[in-house]
Amino acid sequence: MGMLAARHGLRTGALAFVLLTYLTLIGLPGRLADLAMPVLAGVAAIFFWLVLRRNPQLGGIYGSLGGTALWAGLLAGGFYAVLTAFFAGLLANGVRVQLVFDKIVPQNLAALYAVMPGALLSGELSPVGWLRQVGLLGLAGVAAALLVAGERWLRRRELPPLAALRWLPLLLPFVLLAAVIGLGSPAVTFGGNNQGTIRLLLAMLAVGSGIFAARAVRPGGARRVLWALLAAALVGLPFLLDQFQNSVMGIVFIFVMMGLGLNIVVGFAGLLDLGYVAFFAIGAYVYAFLAAPFSSPWLIAQLQGWGLPVSGPLVSFWLALPLTMVAAGLGGLLLGIPVLRLRGDYLAIVTLGFGEIIRLFMLNLAELTNGPRGLLNIAPPTVGGYSLGNPRDIFLLALAGAALIALVANRLDGSRLGRAWVAMREDEDVAQATGIHLVYTKLMAFAIGALFAGLAGQLYAARQTNIFPENFSLFVSIDALSLVIVGGMGSIPGVVLGALALKGLPEVLRGVDEYRIVTFAALLVIMMIVRPQGILPSLRRGRELQEQGGSRADQPSVLETLPDNAGGSPLAQKER
Amino acid sequence: MLVLEQIHTYYDRIHALKGVSLTVRQGEIVTLIGSNGAGKSTTLRAISGLIKPRLGRILLDGQPIDPLPAHAVMRLGISQSPEGRRIFARLTVEENLELGAFTRNDKPAIRADLERVLALFPRLRERLRQRGGTLSGGEQQMLAIGRALMSRPRLLLLDEPSMGLAPLLVEQIFRIVRSINEQGTTILLVEQNAHAALSIAHRAYVLETGTVVLEGPASEVLASSQVREAYLGS
Repeated sequence: MGMLAARHGLRTGALAFVLLTYLTLIGLPGRLADLAMPVLAGVAAIFFWLVLRRNPQLGGIYGSLGGTALWAGLLAGGFYAVLTAFFAGLLANGVRVQLVFDKIVPQNLAALYAVMPGALLSGELSPVGWLRQVGLLGLAGVAAALLVAGERWLRRRELPPLAALRWLPLLLPFVLLAAVIGLGSPAVTFGGNNQGTIRLLLAMLAVGSGIFAARAVRPGGARRVLWALLAAALVGLPFLLDQFQNSVMGIVFIFVMMGLGLNIVVGFAGLLDLGYVAFFAIGAYVYAFLAAPFSSPWLIAQLQGWGLPVSGPLVSFWLALPLTMVAAGLGGLLLGIPVLRLRGDYLAIVTLGFGEIIRLFMLNLAELTNGPRGLLNIAPPTVGGYSLGNPRDIFLLALAGAALIALVANRLDGSRLGRAWVAMREDEDVAQATGIHLVYTKLMAFAIGALFAGLAGQLYAARQTNIFPENFSLFVSIDALSLVIVGGMGSIPGVVLGALALKGLPEVLRGVDEYRIVTFAALLVIMMIVRPQGILPSLRRGRELQEQGGSRADQPSVLETLPDNAGGSPLAQKER
Repeated sequence: MLVLEQIHTYYDRIHALKGVSLTVRQGEIVTLIGSNGAGKSTTLRAISGLIKPRLGRILLDGQPIDPLPAHAVMRLGISQSPEGRRIFARLTVEENLELGAFTRNDKPAIRADLERVLALFPRLRERLRQRGGTLSGGEQQMLAIGRALMSRPRLLLLDEPSMGLAPLLVEQIFRIVRSINEQGTTILLVEQNAHAALSIAHRAYVLETGTVVLEGPASEVLASSQVREAYLGS
C-alpha cells in the first residue's frame, strides 16, 4: 500500500464524500429511514467499484487495489461522520439549519444514526453512530475491492459454465416487465406512495434494457426474435400503466418521434439545427387549424363567408396526417433554401432564429392563431366513433408513430441518400466532387427531418387538446437536440434511450421534489464526462471510438463529432 | 477532349487565372506545373466546376461544361483526386471507395472496378476496414486516387499527388499514375514536383501567376532553360 494507493484512495474517497453529501442534502436518508446508512454505503460501494475497475494498473487485493479501496472508504466515512456530527451539533444547539438546507431536519439526520429524532436533539449521540458510518463506508470500499478482484479472477479463467450464462442479461427486460405487472396488482404493496413512480421507472428501464439486449445479440434470427418479443411487450405496456404513467410515456415517445427526425438532420447529415421546434410547431398548428377552426377568428370568418359550419373539426385526425406532414416538410424546404451555403456555427445560429420566428408568428398573428390565448378544444383522433384521446391511446399512437419513423430512418441510413448524407457530413467539397448533388441532399435532410417533426407535432396537439405559442419555445429544440446527443448521435435506438433519460427521468425524479432539476443536471454532466459518445452510439461512431481506443483524451467529444465540416477554421480543415 | 479557352477566375477581387488556355487530348498525360500560387489548383477547380470562371469557356468533347455544377461535371466523366488528400477520414477505406462510385448503379461493374483499384493499390486491400484517417500519407494519397477511379472517369484530375510524400513513395505513385494512363484513362496532373511530373507526362504547361508561360512536349519543357532554372534548381 504505497503512495499510489493512498493518492488514488484519497481522491476516490473525496469524490464519494461529495456524492454522499449531495444525497444527504436532497433528503434521501429521511425517505429510507433505518435503511439510510446501509443504502448509502451500497451507493458508495457501487461508486468505488466503477472507479476501481477503470484502473487496471492497481495491483491485487492485498496490494494497491485493496489499499486504494480501504483508503477511499475510510476517508469518505470519516468525512461523512464529521459532516453529520456537525449538522447534529447545530441542530442540538437549536440552529435552524433547514433555513439553508431544507432537508437537514432532525428526522432525516436521525435516520443516519438509526436513532429517534429526540435522541439527536438532546445531543446524546453515542460514538457508536459515527463508528457505524465510518465502518459501513470502509466496508463499502472492501466490498468494491473484492468485486473488482473477483471480476478479474473470472475474466482470467473464462469458466465455461459462466460463459454459457451470458444470455442471462437478455432476460432483464422481461424480468423488469414482470415487476411492472406485479407492482400493478392490488395484492402487492411496496414503497408506499412511491409505488407508481417505481413502476414507471421499471417500465422505462425495461424498454431501455430491452434495446440494449437486442443490440447485444448478433444480427440474425435470434435478434429478430428478441425484437419481436420486445415489440409485443411494448404494445402491451400501455395497458399495464395507469393514466399518469401512460401520459409520461406518451410525451417520451412523442419526443422519440421528434428525436428520430432531428437525428436525420444532425446525426446523419451533420447539419446542426437549433430551431427544430419550428417544424414541431407547424405540425401542431396546422392540425389545430384543421381540427379546431372555431378557435381562430380568421378561420371562422372565412368559413362563415363560404357558408360552412364552424362548430367542429374540418377533417379527421387521419386525413390531417398527410396535410401536416406536407406543411412541415415545406417548412423544412423553406428553411433549407436560404441556409444551403451555411455550415457549422452559422447554420446553428440561423436555424435558431428560424425557430424563434415561427414561435413569434404564432404569438403575433393573433387573427389566425388566436395569439397567446392559443387554439383550444383540438379534437382527438377517433376510430369508428371512438375517441382515442386518453393517455393510453396517445401512448399507443406515439409508439406506432415512433416505430414507423424508426423504420423509415433505418432504411434511409443504409440507402443511397444515407450515404450521400454521410459524405456531405464529412466533406462537402469532396462529396460534390464524387457526384453528390449537394442542394438536393441537403434539402432532403431538412425536409424529411421536418416532416417527422410535423407528425410529432400533430400528435402533440391532439394530446394537449389546447396549444399555445409558449409550448414551442427554444427549450423544445434544446431538449430534442440533447436527447439525440445523450442517446448517441446518428443512432436510432440511442434516440429512444435519450428520450427516456431526458424526458422520462425528470418525471420519475419527482420524488426528490425541488432537487429534481439539479439532480438531473448532475446526471447529464456525469454522463457527458463518462460517456461522451452518448449512451448507445451508432455503429460507425462506436467503431471510431474503438479504433482511437486508449486514453479518453483523444475521444472526440460530441461537439467535435458534430461535423461542422470545414465550417470552422482553415486549420481544422488542414488537419483532416 | 478537354479544352480551356482563355479562362479568367477571381477570388473576390483577386484575379487568380488571367486567361489560361490549355488542351488535353484523349489518352494523354498532361501536366500543369508551376510554383505555389501560380493557379494550378484553381485551374483544376474551374474544370471540375467547384468555381465558376468569370470569362472564357471550358469544353468537354466540344460541349461547354463551365456552367455546370460540380456534381454534373463529375457525371460527364471527369473525376478529381483533390489536393491534400481530402479523403473521408472517419469512414473506412471501403466506404471511401464506394462513395467514389456514388453516381453508378451497376453493382457487378462497381465490384469489378473495386478489384481493379485494389489491384493497383494492394496496400488498400489490407486496410479495407480501417478508417481513412488512420492511413499513412502515401496510403491516403492512394485512397484518394482510387476513389477518383471508382467513378470510371474518362479524364482523371490529379492535384499534387506527390505532396508531402517520401521520394520513394512519390516514385511509386507516379508509376501507378502511368499505368492508370496506359489502361486508357486520360490524365491531367497538377504538380509542384516538376521533375517527376515531366518524366511521365506527354505534354506540359508551365503556369506562372495565372498565365501559361510555356507549353510543349514534356521532354522539351524539361530541357528548357527557363524551367530548369525556376523549378529544377540547376
